[in-house]
Amino acid sequence: MALANTVYNTFFKRNSVFVTTIFASAFTFGIGFDIAVTKFYDRWNQGKQWKDIRDKYVQEE
Amino acid sequence: MATLQAVKKAVSLAPTVRTLPSGVPVAPLLNFAVRAPHDSHHGTSGPRADIPPKWTGGVSRTSTGLVSKTYLSVPTQQYRLLHTSVARKDAPEVPDFSHYRTNPDSNRALSYFMVGSLGILSASAAKSTVSEFLQTMAASADVLALAKVEVDLTNIPEGKNVIIKWRGKPVFIRHRTQGEIEEARSVDWKSFRDPQSDEERVKKPDWLVMLGVCTHLGCVPIGEAGDYGGWFCPCHGSHYDISGRARKGPAPLNLEIPAYEFNDAEGKLVIG
Repeated sequence: MALANTVYNTFFKRNSVFVTTIFASAFTFGIGFDIAVTKFYDRWNQGKQWKDIRDKYVQEE
Repeated sequence: MATLQAVKKAVSLAPTVRTLPSGVPVAPLLNFAVRAPHDSHHGTSGPRADIPPKWTGGVSRTSTGLVSKTYLSVPTQQYRLLHTSVARKDAPEVPDFSHYRTNPDSNRALSYFMVGSLGILSASAAKSTVSEFLQTMAASADVLALAKVEVDLTNIPEGKNVIIKWRGKPVFIRHRTQGEIEEARSVDWKSFRDPQSDEERVKKPDWLVMLGVCTHLGCVPIGEAGDYGGWFCPCHGSHYDISGRARKGPAPLNLEIPAYEFNDAEGKLVIG
Protein backbone atom coordinates (compact mmCIF):
# COMPACT_ATOMS: atom_id res chain seq x y z
CA MET A 1 0.00 0.00 0.00
CA ALA A 2 2.80 2.36 0.86
CA LEU A 3 4.53 1.49 -2.39
CA ALA A 4 1.35 2.09 -4.37
CA ASN A 5 0.90 5.47 -2.72
CA THR A 6 4.50 6.39 -3.38
CA VAL A 7 4.17 5.44 -7.03
CA TYR A 8 0.91 7.31 -7.29
CA ASN A 9 2.33 10.44 -5.74
CA THR A 10 5.50 10.27 -7.81
CA PHE A 11 4.16 9.54 -11.28
CA PHE A 12 0.40 9.72 -11.53
CA LYS A 13 -0.63 12.68 -9.49
CA ARG A 14 0.36 15.35 -12.01
CA ASN A 15 -0.67 14.76 -15.58
CA SER A 16 2.45 16.49 -16.89
CA VAL A 17 4.66 14.05 -15.02
CA PHE A 18 2.44 11.16 -16.08
CA VAL A 19 2.62 12.02 -19.79
CA THR A 20 6.35 12.74 -19.63
CA THR A 21 6.93 9.39 -17.96
CA ILE A 22 4.87 7.67 -20.65
CA PHE A 23 6.89 9.25 -23.47
CA ALA A 24 10.23 8.58 -21.81
CA SER A 25 9.25 4.98 -21.12
CA ALA A 26 8.01 4.58 -24.69
CA PHE A 27 11.41 5.72 -25.96
CA THR A 28 13.27 3.29 -23.69
CA PHE A 29 10.82 0.51 -24.40
CA GLY A 30 11.24 1.00 -28.15
CA ILE A 31 15.02 0.65 -27.94
CA GLY A 32 14.83 -2.34 -25.60
CA PHE A 33 12.22 -4.07 -27.73
CA ASP A 34 14.33 -3.54 -30.82
CA ILE A 35 17.42 -4.99 -29.16
CA ALA A 36 15.48 -7.97 -27.82
CA VAL A 37 13.89 -8.79 -31.16
CA THR A 38 17.20 -8.47 -32.97
CA LYS A 39 18.88 -10.79 -30.48
CA PHE A 40 16.13 -13.34 -30.80
CA TYR A 41 16.24 -13.12 -34.60
CA ASP A 42 20.00 -13.59 -34.69
CA ARG A 43 19.81 -16.58 -32.40
CA TRP A 44 16.95 -18.12 -34.33
CA ASN A 45 18.83 -17.75 -37.64
CA GLN A 46 22.25 -18.58 -36.29
CA GLY A 47 24.59 -19.82 -39.00
CA LYS A 48 22.39 -18.66 -41.83
CA GLN A 49 23.12 -14.96 -42.03
CA TRP A 50 25.87 -13.37 -44.08
CA LYS A 51 27.66 -12.02 -41.03
CA ASP A 52 27.95 -15.59 -39.71
CA ILE A 53 29.21 -17.21 -42.92
CA ARG A 54 31.25 -14.28 -44.22
CA ASP A 55 34.51 -15.86 -43.01
CA LYS A 56 34.04 -18.80 -45.34
CA TYR A 57 33.99 -16.66 -48.46
CA VAL A 58 35.90 -13.45 -47.82
CA GLN A 59 39.63 -13.59 -47.25
CA GLU A 60 41.00 -10.43 -45.71
CA GLU A 61 44.13 -9.26 -47.43
CA MET B 1 -52.58 59.20 -42.60
CA ALA B 2 -48.97 58.55 -42.19
CA THR B 3 -48.49 61.62 -40.05
CA LEU B 4 -51.45 60.69 -37.91
CA GLN B 5 -50.01 57.25 -37.30
CA ALA B 6 -46.72 58.81 -36.40
CA VAL B 7 -48.43 60.96 -33.81
CA LYS B 8 -50.39 58.09 -32.32
CA LYS B 9 -47.42 55.85 -32.20
CA ALA B 10 -46.61 54.47 -28.76
CA VAL B 11 -43.22 55.47 -27.50
CA SER B 12 -41.42 53.70 -24.76
CA LEU B 13 -39.03 55.90 -22.90
CA ALA B 14 -36.55 55.19 -20.28
CA PRO B 15 -38.43 55.39 -16.98
CA THR B 16 -36.32 58.10 -15.43
CA VAL B 17 -35.82 60.73 -18.04
CA ARG B 18 -36.54 63.66 -15.79
CA THR B 19 -37.79 64.06 -12.25
CA LEU B 20 -40.10 66.64 -10.79
CA PRO B 21 -38.96 68.66 -7.77
CA SER B 22 -41.09 66.32 -5.66
CA GLY B 23 -38.97 63.40 -6.80
CA VAL B 24 -41.57 61.90 -9.11
CA PRO B 25 -40.20 60.80 -12.44
CA VAL B 26 -41.82 62.45 -15.40
CA ALA B 27 -43.02 60.11 -18.11
CA PRO B 28 -45.45 62.19 -20.13
CA LEU B 29 -45.86 59.89 -23.14
CA LEU B 30 -46.21 56.68 -21.20
CA ASN B 31 -49.63 55.36 -22.12
CA PHE B 32 -50.68 52.03 -20.70
CA ALA B 33 -54.05 52.18 -22.42
CA VAL B 34 -52.66 52.31 -25.92
CA ARG B 35 -53.94 49.61 -28.20
CA ALA B 36 -51.86 47.57 -30.48
CA PRO B 37 -51.76 49.00 -34.00
CA HIS B 38 -54.22 47.49 -36.36
CA ASP B 39 -52.52 44.82 -38.32
CA SER B 40 -54.13 42.72 -41.01
CA HIS B 41 -51.88 39.81 -40.13
CA HIS B 42 -53.23 39.43 -36.63
CA GLY B 43 -56.98 39.74 -37.14
CA THR B 44 -58.99 41.92 -34.86
CA SER B 45 -57.39 44.36 -32.51
CA GLY B 46 -58.15 43.80 -28.88
CA PRO B 47 -56.80 44.87 -25.56
CA ARG B 48 -53.06 44.58 -25.26
CA ALA B 49 -51.95 41.31 -23.87
CA ASP B 50 -48.61 42.55 -22.61
CA ILE B 51 -49.98 44.94 -20.00
CA PRO B 52 -52.49 44.08 -17.33
CA PRO B 53 -56.02 45.44 -17.83
CA LYS B 54 -57.01 48.55 -15.97
CA TRP B 55 -59.37 46.83 -13.58
CA THR B 56 -56.52 44.99 -11.88
CA GLY B 57 -55.07 48.24 -10.69
CA GLY B 58 -52.15 50.21 -12.03
CA VAL B 59 -50.20 53.38 -11.58
CA SER B 60 -51.96 56.69 -11.44
CA ARG B 61 -50.69 60.22 -10.95
CA THR B 62 -52.06 62.14 -8.07
CA SER B 63 -51.13 65.45 -6.56
CA THR B 64 -48.93 63.70 -4.02
CA GLY B 65 -47.04 61.64 -6.59
CA LEU B 66 -47.33 58.32 -8.28
CA VAL B 67 -49.75 55.89 -6.69
CA SER B 68 -49.83 52.27 -7.51
CA LYS B 69 -52.92 50.26 -6.73
CA THR B 70 -53.60 46.60 -7.12
CA TYR B 71 -57.05 45.05 -6.76
CA LEU B 72 -56.74 41.50 -5.77
CA SER B 73 -59.44 38.92 -5.42
CA VAL B 74 -59.26 35.29 -4.58
CA PRO B 75 -59.14 33.29 -7.76
CA THR B 76 -62.37 31.47 -8.28
CA GLN B 77 -60.98 28.54 -10.12
CA GLN B 78 -59.23 25.73 -8.34
CA TYR B 79 -55.77 24.57 -9.32
CA ARG B 80 -55.70 20.86 -9.88
CA LEU B 81 -52.47 19.05 -10.42
CA LEU B 82 -52.00 16.29 -12.94
CA HIS B 83 -51.73 13.60 -10.43
CA THR B 84 -53.87 13.61 -7.44
CA SER B 85 -52.43 10.94 -5.24
CA VAL B 86 -51.12 12.07 -1.94
CA ALA B 87 -47.40 12.70 -1.87
CA ARG B 88 -45.51 10.40 0.38
CA LYS B 89 -43.67 12.45 2.83
CA ASP B 90 -41.36 9.69 3.95
CA ALA B 91 -38.90 9.08 1.10
CA PRO B 92 -38.32 5.45 0.23
CA GLU B 93 -35.20 4.18 1.83
CA VAL B 94 -32.18 4.12 -0.50
CA PRO B 95 -30.39 0.77 -0.25
CA ASP B 96 -27.01 0.82 1.34
CA PHE B 97 -24.46 0.22 -1.41
CA SER B 98 -21.41 0.74 0.72
CA HIS B 99 -20.86 -2.98 0.93
CA TYR B 100 -20.37 -3.10 -2.84
CA ARG B 101 -18.23 -0.01 -3.13
CA THR B 102 -14.48 -0.50 -3.27
CA ASN B 103 -12.07 1.69 -1.51
CA PRO B 104 -11.03 4.25 -4.13
CA ASP B 105 -7.49 4.29 -2.79
CA SER B 106 -7.00 0.56 -2.91
CA ASN B 107 -6.19 0.01 -6.61
CA ARG B 108 -5.83 3.54 -7.82
CA ALA B 109 -2.13 3.16 -8.51
CA LEU B 110 -2.78 -0.10 -10.38
CA SER B 111 -5.45 1.55 -12.55
CA TYR B 112 -3.17 4.38 -13.49
CA PHE B 113 -0.37 1.93 -14.10
CA MET B 114 -2.49 0.00 -16.58
CA VAL B 115 -3.52 3.23 -18.30
CA GLY B 116 0.09 4.33 -18.47
CA SER B 117 1.28 0.98 -19.82
CA LEU B 118 -1.26 1.16 -22.61
CA GLY B 119 -0.04 4.68 -23.28
CA ILE B 120 3.56 3.49 -23.50
CA LEU B 121 2.65 0.74 -25.95
CA SER B 122 0.56 3.09 -28.08
CA ALA B 123 3.23 5.77 -28.09
CA SER B 124 5.98 3.41 -29.18
CA ALA B 125 3.71 1.85 -31.81
CA ALA B 126 2.88 5.29 -33.18
CA LYS B 127 6.53 6.28 -33.15
CA SER B 128 7.67 3.19 -35.01
CA THR B 129 4.82 3.55 -37.50
CA VAL B 130 5.93 7.06 -38.35
CA SER B 131 9.64 6.26 -38.45
CA GLU B 132 9.17 3.12 -40.56
CA PHE B 133 7.03 5.08 -42.97
CA LEU B 134 9.68 7.77 -43.24
CA GLN B 135 12.34 5.13 -43.85
CA THR B 136 10.51 4.04 -46.97
CA MET B 137 11.38 7.43 -48.41
CA ALA B 138 15.09 7.12 -47.62
CA ALA B 139 17.55 6.10 -50.30
CA SER B 140 18.01 2.37 -50.51
CA ALA B 141 21.37 0.67 -50.11
CA ASP B 142 21.98 0.18 -53.83
CA VAL B 143 21.35 3.85 -54.52
CA LEU B 144 23.68 4.84 -51.70
CA ALA B 145 26.34 2.51 -53.07
CA LEU B 146 26.09 4.19 -56.47
CA ALA B 147 26.18 7.65 -55.00
CA LYS B 148 29.95 7.55 -54.49
CA VAL B 149 32.53 6.79 -57.13
CA GLU B 150 36.20 6.01 -56.57
CA VAL B 151 38.71 6.82 -59.22
CA ASP B 152 42.31 5.60 -59.21
CA LEU B 153 44.33 8.70 -60.01
CA THR B 154 47.61 6.86 -60.56
CA ASN B 155 46.34 5.59 -63.91
CA ILE B 156 45.73 9.07 -65.32
CA PRO B 157 48.84 10.52 -66.95
CA GLU B 158 49.54 14.21 -66.97
CA GLY B 159 47.71 16.17 -69.62
CA LYS B 160 44.94 13.63 -70.08
CA ASN B 161 41.21 13.73 -69.58
CA VAL B 162 39.14 11.00 -68.02
CA ILE B 163 35.35 10.89 -68.15
CA ILE B 164 33.54 8.78 -65.61
CA LYS B 165 29.89 8.34 -64.85
CA TRP B 166 28.63 9.55 -61.51
CA ARG B 167 24.95 9.58 -60.57
CA GLY B 168 24.04 9.24 -64.23
CA LYS B 169 26.11 12.25 -65.25
CA PRO B 170 29.56 12.48 -66.79
CA VAL B 171 32.38 13.83 -64.65
CA PHE B 172 35.52 15.25 -66.24
CA ILE B 173 38.82 14.65 -64.49
CA ARG B 174 41.78 16.47 -65.95
CA HIS B 175 45.34 15.92 -64.86
CA ARG B 176 46.64 19.36 -65.68
CA THR B 177 50.17 20.13 -66.64
CA GLN B 178 52.16 22.90 -65.00
CA GLY B 179 51.71 25.10 -68.05
CA GLU B 180 47.96 24.66 -67.97
CA ILE B 181 47.84 25.57 -64.29
CA GLU B 182 49.80 28.73 -64.95
CA GLU B 183 47.57 29.57 -67.87
CA ALA B 184 44.43 29.09 -65.80
CA ARG B 185 45.77 31.28 -63.01
CA SER B 186 47.31 34.06 -65.07
CA VAL B 187 44.15 35.21 -66.86
CA ASP B 188 42.09 38.10 -65.55
CA TRP B 189 39.15 36.10 -64.24
CA LYS B 190 37.31 39.11 -62.84
CA SER B 191 36.15 40.08 -66.29
CA PHE B 192 34.56 36.70 -67.03
CA ARG B 193 30.86 36.10 -67.25
CA ASP B 194 30.86 33.96 -64.10
CA PRO B 195 33.90 35.35 -62.28
CA GLN B 196 35.65 32.61 -60.33
CA SER B 197 39.33 32.16 -59.66
CA ASP B 198 41.07 28.90 -60.45
CA GLU B 199 41.94 28.49 -56.76
CA GLU B 200 38.24 28.38 -55.92
CA ARG B 201 37.57 25.67 -58.46
CA VAL B 202 40.21 23.11 -57.61
CA LYS B 203 41.39 21.49 -54.39
CA LYS B 204 44.71 20.47 -55.84
CA PRO B 205 45.99 22.46 -58.82
CA ASP B 206 46.97 19.26 -60.67
CA TRP B 207 43.49 17.85 -60.66
CA LEU B 208 40.47 19.53 -62.14
CA VAL B 209 37.24 17.68 -61.31
CA MET B 210 33.96 18.96 -62.68
CA LEU B 211 30.57 17.89 -63.93
CA GLY B 212 30.59 17.37 -67.68
CA VAL B 213 27.28 19.03 -68.33
CA CYS B 214 27.17 22.25 -70.30
CA THR B 215 25.51 24.94 -68.20
CA HIS B 216 23.66 26.20 -71.23
CA LEU B 217 21.32 23.35 -72.16
CA GLY B 218 22.96 20.28 -70.72
CA CYS B 219 25.02 18.82 -73.59
CA VAL B 220 28.32 17.13 -72.86
CA PRO B 221 31.24 19.31 -73.96
CA ILE B 222 34.18 17.89 -75.90
CA GLY B 223 37.54 17.89 -74.18
CA GLU B 224 40.73 19.51 -75.43
CA ALA B 225 38.84 21.64 -77.87
CA GLY B 226 37.62 25.19 -78.19
CA ASP B 227 39.37 28.52 -78.41
CA TYR B 228 40.76 28.39 -74.88
CA GLY B 229 42.29 24.93 -74.86
CA GLY B 230 39.64 23.55 -72.53
CA TRP B 231 36.23 22.24 -73.48
CA PHE B 232 33.89 23.04 -76.30
CA CYS B 233 30.18 22.32 -76.40
CA PRO B 234 29.16 21.22 -79.88
CA CYS B 235 25.46 21.96 -79.41
CA HIS B 236 25.57 25.75 -79.29
CA GLY B 237 29.26 26.57 -79.30
CA SER B 238 30.13 27.39 -75.73
CA HIS B 239 33.84 27.54 -74.98
CA TYR B 240 35.30 26.65 -71.60
CA ASP B 241 38.89 27.27 -70.58
CA ILE B 242 41.29 24.90 -68.88
CA SER B 243 39.66 25.65 -65.52
CA GLY B 244 36.16 24.90 -66.84
CA ARG B 245 35.05 28.51 -66.85
CA ALA B 246 32.63 29.76 -69.48
CA ARG B 247 34.54 32.08 -71.79
CA LYS B 248 32.57 32.29 -74.99
CA GLY B 249 29.18 31.28 -76.30
CA PRO B 250 25.79 31.07 -74.64
CA ALA B 251 26.81 29.23 -71.46
CA PRO B 252 25.85 31.43 -68.48
CA LEU B 253 27.89 29.69 -65.78
CA ASN B 254 31.13 27.81 -65.30
CA LEU B 255 31.06 24.02 -65.33
CA GLU B 256 29.79 22.76 -61.99
CA ILE B 257 32.17 21.30 -59.42
CA PRO B 258 30.86 18.22 -57.58
CA ALA B 259 31.73 17.38 -53.99
CA TYR B 260 34.92 15.32 -54.02
CA GLU B 261 37.77 14.30 -51.77
CA PHE B 262 41.27 12.99 -52.27
CA ASN B 263 42.39 9.82 -50.62
CA ASP B 264 46.10 10.46 -50.58
CA ALA B 265 47.06 7.19 -48.94
CA GLU B 266 45.70 5.07 -51.78
CA GLY B 267 46.03 7.70 -54.50
CA LYS B 268 42.33 7.74 -55.09
CA LEU B 269 39.69 10.34 -55.74
CA VAL B 270 36.26 9.91 -54.16
CA ILE B 271 33.43 11.78 -55.83
CA GLY B 272 30.21 12.23 -53.88
